[in-house]
Amino acid sequence: MARMKFICDAERCIECNGCATACKNEHEVPWGVNRRRLITVNDGKPGERSMSVACMHCSDAPCMAVCPVDCFYKTEEGVVLHDKDLCIGCGYCFYACPFGAPQFPQAGAFGLRGKMDKCTFCAGGPEENHSKAEFTKYGRNRIAEGKLPACAEMCSTKALLAGDGAVIESIYKTRVQRRGKGDEIWGWAMAYKRGDALASGVKS
Amino acid sequence: MTRRKLAVTLLGCAAFGLIGCGEIDQKAKVEKVYAGKKDTRAAEDPRFGGDRKKWEATLAERSKGQNEYLRTEIK
Repeated sequence: MARMKFICDAERCIECNGCATACKNEHEVPWGVNRRRLITVNDGKPGERSMSVACMHCSDAPCMAVCPVDCFYKTEEGVVLHDKDLCIGCGYCFYACPFGAPQFPQAGAFGLRGKMDKCTFCAGGPEENHSKAEFTKYGRNRIAEGKLPACAEMCSTKALLAGDGAVIESIYKTRVQRRGKGDEIWGWAMAYKRGDALASGVKS
Repeated sequence: MTRRKLAVTLLGCAAFGLIGCGEIDQKAKVEKVYAGKKDTRAAEDPRFGGDRKKWEATLAERSKGQNEYLRTEIK
């Protein structure tokens, strides 16, 4: 099996917040902690797009690199998880993360930070699977149940895809080709060329 | 003689200048090792009984279910 990944199809996302709600409900995430959230660009203007964002379970995760207590680990499936018993709530991972995934619950007066909380790809954490401790600290372990993350399974338009990277990539590729685009959607030109250059058919 | 000295000096300066083109290895020397508790693997769940292939097949089936073209189109 390859790595577990999320893909959010910005052409399909309708900003319904179903993913964020499903996540909150599934894991009983405390108030103020948003493991998943919606980002909207060009709000109210033509070309408005929304994107569901959470931990992207990076291959070379910067949160892991900066953690002073080494509380992060990666499962065989490439899911980045952490041990809350070890976390000191320093917030380094928050500064390192390009997606703003690490969340810190308010743990007391004067804005005192609690231990870091983030998307677990619904894979629980370093506690006995399906135990009360695992649920309280990390949420439900759907992956061990043979299910996909709740956010992706709840997505009504299937904008948010989760699972084996190779499988969801093929789903997304089929989708984009059906929209009328071909092989130009992949590679250097799509990633780095300007829109007008692409439209005029300029290849890299 | 003066020309030779000048050439040697210039070559020396050029060689010294090349030092600036070098790149210092900035990779962290210390390997990060996870210090927390051991986690139970997903496939070790009682419903899969440690059969990783069975677990992978279940998950793959579910992943493919996200492709509505497979469900809606007449084959």
